[in-house]
Amino acid sequence: MRTKCWVLVPLAVGLLAGPAFAQGRTVTGTVRDSVTGGPIEAARVAVQGTSILVSTGATGQFTLTGVASGEVTLLVRAVGYRRREVRLGAGASSVNVGLEKDVFKMEEIVVTGQATGIERRNLANAVATVGSEDLGTHPTASLEQQLQGKVAGAEITTNGGAPGGGVQVRLRGVTSVNATAEPLYVVDGVIMSDVAIPSNANALTGAAGGANPSLTQDGQVNRIADLNPAEIESIEILKGASAAAIYGGRASNGVVIIRTKRGLPGTTRVEIQQRFGFASLRREIGARRFADAAAVDASGAFAPGTGAKYCGSGACPFFNHEEELAGQKKLAEETTANISGGTDRTRYYASGTYSNEPGIITNTGFKRQSIRLNLDQRFGDRLSMAVTTNVLHTRADRGVTNNDNNGVSYYYMLTGTPSFVDLRQNADGTFPKNPFQASNPLQTANRLQNKEDVWRFVASNRMQWTPLNAGRSSLRLIAIGGLDYFIQKNTIFSPPDLQFEPQDGLPGTSLLSNSDNLNLNLDGQAVHTYTGAGYTATTSAGVQYARRSLDINRIESRNLIAGQENVSAGTAVRVRENRTLVKNLGFFAQEEILLMHERLAVTGGIRADQSSLDADARKLFYYPKAAVSYRLVSAPRGMIDELKIRGAFGQTGNEPLYGQRFTPLNSTLNLGGIAGTVVLGTTGGTDIHPERNQEVEVGFDGQLLKNRVSVEASYFQKNVSDLLLTRNLPPSSGFAQEIFNGGKLRVRGVEVAGSVVPWQTKSATWFVRTTFSKNHSKITELPVPTFQTGGFGTSLGVFQIEQGKSATQIVGTHLLANGTPAPSDTVLGDANPEFRMSLANDLSYKAFNLHVLIDWQQGGNVINLTRLLQDAFGNAPDGAAGDTRIGTWAKGAASTYIESASFMKFREIALSWDLPKRLANTMFSGVRSARLSLSARNLIWLHTPYTGFDPEVSNFGNQPIARNIDVTPYPPSRTFYFSINLGM
Amino acid sequence: MPPMTRILRFAPALLGALALAGCHSLDVADLNNPGLEELEKTPTAVGVNTAATGLLVGLRVAVAEPNGWITLLGAMGREGFNLNTNSDPRYVKEMLVGPLDPGDFGSAFWAAAYANIRNSVILLHAVDGVAGLSPSEKEGLRGFAKTIQALELLNVVLTRDANGAVIDVDRSPTGDPGAIATKADTYARINTLLDEARTHLQAAGSAFSFPLGSGFTGFDTPASFLKFNRAVRARAAIYNNDFSGALTALSQSFLDTAAPLSTGVYHVFSTGSGDATNNILQGAPVIRANPTLVTAAQLRVGGQPDLRVTTKIVTGDPGTGTSGTATFTSDKHFTLYPTNSSPVAIIRNEELILLRAEANLGLTNVTQALVDINFIRTNSGGLPVYAGATTAAAVLDELLYNKRYSLMWEGGFSWFDYRHYSKLTTLPRLVTGGSFFTKMPFPTNECLARSPAPTLGCSPEVGQ
Repeated sequence: MRTKCWVLVPLAVGLLAGPAFAQGRTVTGTVRDSVTGGPIEAARVAVQGTSILVSTGATGQFTLTGVASGEVTLLVRAVGYRRREVRLGAGASSVNVGLEKDVFKMEEIVVTGQATGIERRNLANAVATVGSEDLGTHPTASLEQQLQGKVAGAEITTNGGAPGGGVQVRLRGVTSVNATAEPLYVVDGVIMSDVAIPSNANALTGAAGGANPSLTQDGQVNRIADLNPAEIESIEILKGASAAAIYGGRASNGVVIIRTKRGLPGTTRVEIQQRFGFASLRREIGARRFADAAAVDASGAFAPGTGAKYCGSGACPFFNHEEELAGQKKLAEETTANISGGTDRTRYYASGTYSNEPGIITNTGFKRQSIRLNLDQRFGDRLSMAVTTNVLHTRADRGVTNNDNNGVSYYYMLTGTPSFVDLRQNADGTFPKNPFQASNPLQTANRLQNKEDVWRFVASNRMQWTPLNAGRSSLRLIAIGGLDYFIQKNTIFSPPDLQFEPQDGLPGTSLLSNSDNLNLNLDGQAVHTYTGAGYTATTSAGVQYARRSLDINRIESRNLIAGQENVSAGTAVRVRENRTLVKNLGFFAQEEILLMHERLAVTGGIRADQSSLDADARKLFYYPKAAVSYRLVSAPRGMIDELKIRGAFGQTGNEPLYGQRFTPLNSTLNLGGIAGTVVLGTTGGTDIHPERNQEVEVGFDGQLLKNRVSVEASYFQKNVSDLLLTRNLPPSSGFAQEIFNGGKLRVRGVEVAGSVVPWQTKSATWFVRTTFSKNHSKITELPVPTFQTGGFGTSLGVFQIEQGKSATQIVGTHLLANGTPAPSDTVLGDANPEFRMSLANDLSYKAFNLHVLIDWQQGGNVINLTRLLQDAFGNAPDGAAGDTRIGTWAKGAASTYIESASFMKFREIALSWDLPKRLANTMFSGVRSARLSLSARNLIWLHTPYTGFDPEVSNFGNQPIARNIDVTPYPPSRTFYFSINLGM
Repeated sequence: MPPMTRILRFAPALLGALALAGCHSLDVADLNNPGLEELEKTPTAVGVNTAATGLLVGLRVAVAEPNGWITLLGAMGREGFNLNTNSDPRYVKEMLVGPLDPGDFGSAFWAAAYANIRNSVILLHAVDGVAGLSPSEKEGLRGFAKTIQALELLNVVLTRDANGAVIDVDRSPTGDPGAIATKADTYARINTLLDEARTHLQAAGSAFSFPLGSGFTGFDTPASFLKFNRAVRARAAIYNNDFSGALTALSQSFLDTAAPLSTGVYHVFSTGSGDATNNILQGAPVIRANPTLVTAAQLRVGGQPDLRVTTKIVTGDPGTGTSGTATFTSDKHFTLYPTNSSPVAIIRNEELILLRAEANLGLTNVTQALVDINFIRTNSGGLPVYAGATTAAAVLDELLYNKRYSLMWEGGFSWFDYRHYSKLTTLPRLVTGGSFFTKMPFPTNECLARSPAPTLGCSPEVGQ
């Protein structure tokens, strides 16, 4: 049934303020750091009770005009400083203001609702905020990588090292077995897509078989990677259901709220950043070295006579194929420029970025271009508009890595290629045939193309009308429209002359995938604030409509005899299309009361959601929330400056996947061109509905020792019920599975974030931040028999969902001490780490700043199948030890290749120098500031027992459960950059 | 608290926004596939005809795959093999040594057959309720659907044999599963379906309402399709030891010694988008023939081997498969399927002539049997007429030889036939510890759905 609705938009304009008065006095002043005495740039100075607002220039100076003649109060704020109210006597025309650093961001406003926020000191949840000062220290291919090691309770891990990203953000452990694992991303009010669209490389690699394979092994990029970190002002992370409940049915994996930079009134600012750098292979997995022909034959891995053929009578040659393949160190560059400024009515921020980061493998790399214009306009005192527009282009050349069954994947082939064979390019440009494998990976890397080209347009408009702002009461009405549209084009071209190509009888393959994704959302909100005697009550309510569609068209063309990439040149052409359309409608209402002179904060709210993904698209699902925080100490008392206890409860949902409510007939098959429909293996859920995630969080926050120490500690428990599960049907029914809601899982964990300022003088500061988090999951109820998910079966290690056990346990075959086989589902490990910890040190001395971020993961396991492949091909770098391992494995011990995922690495190191003004002016004429910096990312391992490239790996991309499977990924790199920042 | 009257001024705007949002329909249909429910509840003539062709799509599933019907059953009957044991050691370990596991390859050829049986059940219901088709067209659809359903059930019982099969298939897919019927009951059900189909086809007029594709050329009218139906009926009767029933059915089938031996009904393949390809083509790097097919072949006058060997097998690059303890090497390649568009026989004239020989032999009519055997020996094998002993036992061996070479790599016939006469162990074992299975187990989920689990078919099948 369809209902047509005619929209009557009541355009409520009017109330435009009259012309501004040019009368009044002029006040000038300077804003400085109260400790160092240095000027504070971009501080905002407002005259309370008026719309007068200016910001300070590079020297901290400001000029206010039209200030009333009597006594007025100035409100001075700057990012990273505590706000200050300054009384300005009648007739005063100048003022100097000193601001104290807000080291622990206690005055930062943190979101609590769709349009409401609260200062951190009253916050009832551990919401992590990462500001622009902690972003962009060093370039990364994707935004999420900028957050690694900076958020307690966030497990942010890359799936491989391929240029362009592919990163999973898991907040507070697992939330689901089969539903989505991605947080909800809200960027300037736009619900931005983080969909990961595979390239269809599977059509070459055959990593997953069958007529309609799942393409999860294509090394896909989740699209939030497109966002340019350089344009981001702040990122807030609502980790659990208690904080995210007001986002409802899509917030089970947490919500990441991103704000981009905006202009400030005052002087026009220009910032230019130029970077140069390179990437290099971080770690080689190595290859076996053979002493001589006898050693080759003795290994038993090769046909008799191989040793003599390649090594003759002397020593065997050693060719470092890995170095040949992944040793590229090309110049990377990034140029960013932005201009911002405005008046108290109109503010703008415009920015452009170009970056080019070549990969460490030939023919791979990542490029990004971004143009942004953010505009803020006020119409009088009551109406304002904030517009954001962003055009993005990203282009990733990703090569072919990960699992493979057809002899394509570079490193898969390397694991089986002995070091004594020379695969290097011949003088005539051809490549030698690899006699040991189906392909020469150097040839493949040189000739095969795997390109991902994304054009994206993101825009939002936020209108705010304040019809009521009198006395104690104010009302804001907010309308937000958001749009996120992108087209992703994947082209993979495998020329007919590649060594592996003739194998399928159809030499040459061209794969073209065109995908377009549209996310739209329309929000209406009303916020009423009432300030009473000693309390403030904020009531908000709203409605949110969201629609998203994704259409993926794929063409596979084979037998490209002429070597032409155009898909119409092939003789065997296959076409597939997959469409999705999802509509969501949500309503919410929330009451926040701040009372007892801002010591007690109480919040209650509810969200109701309906979705086209549910079996009943008309049914509303309700997600309540409640939170309370109390500041035991709100003014310094002894050693304690602040102490707050807090507790919060909330529920969120996780939507069914598109199509789970349907029982379709497969209409994509035919018989020599005659269409024929058949049943598909799964019956839809006739009562399918969202998973429900209920979380309770308690904790305390404190500041000690005159703001030298800050501690934030939380404990949470989340219970996820109505899991989306599949029940196996007896196959004689004609169906394999049925989808239904059932089962429960629980996650408990602790998070601690601490900051210390051990040293703070006029010329030097040392600031230490640390995070610690730990969580453990348990399947508490499972209405289906124990089942395995992800991975390649018990003989290689697989994830097993089992009542009473951890959701991320890895099981498989194992040999007991006496050599007899243990049960094939013996628990061999767990992907979930025991804990994660990070340590960030920021040392500044005069004009020098040193930033060091150490990221530590303790425990957890990885299924290292790269090593298994090396051992199986007799190519282990440790030689005979590998032969022993594979022998043990062959007797039935998947446990042989389950390894520890512990690591400790230097995530970021950066050293910068702010040039003295005079020198800066001499070197770069006209600039007001200049900074030079050297930085490195993932520089060295401090420690890891892992033998593969990196325990941060996922052959199957982003997964709710089955990460940590290592099958010849794109090797991760370390990157180095030299940057010049100029401010004008 | 706040002055409510002021707030209430804005209530209409808010309510308007809510109402606007509330009346927007969120229903989204399946944008990728038609719904099964539509076919079941509101069938259209086009939908029904497309679903009918779908039965042939379903019938073709897993026939010509590296782990499909021909390959795995061919391994158990020692015809040929998939030697890609790097990616999956089960091709040798499980299929040549065993045991056959209900959770592994042992579960094959059950789910796909019952999926297609479900297709036919849905089609039969849809035909009852559809408007826009004439009574004779409906009869044609019924005759077609029941014939295909019977053929799928025959395939099931041929692999499960004494373990039995599920014949009570017209039930809710999510309800209790149908009981496991005995082998005898399953054959009875197959016969009933085929005979009911005959009655329908006889009332089906001169043409079907749906296309059957090029694999059914010559058998695509109700009258000619009935000859295919009778051919299937004859095959079922032979494996059920109903030899006189087989002779009757054969007489109504397309058996014709004047027609080419290749006359018959085929699965067709192409590289067209959405179509299936034949993935055991000659160029497939992993498929090899059993080399003893060459060495054990009878010789023609002049010493050359049986024509059926020289036309179906060539020597090429060697392949080795291993299961850890057992290794197997062959350099013999089948030439039956030169390209990935090569068709695969469902049933053809050569088999029918051999079935007639088998029926006559079963009725101890040895002389009559030898007429057909010699026809195949000379016409298909290029061999001289049979000169061996004419005891029933000796002629049976000769018949099995001819079925093995005539129907080589076409769908597990060696395994069916040598098992039928308890002669599997006369085939070469090929690998140390190699064994022969008489039946395949049920898939694990078929056993788990029943409490208690069936006594037969739910444990790993150990070979002889």
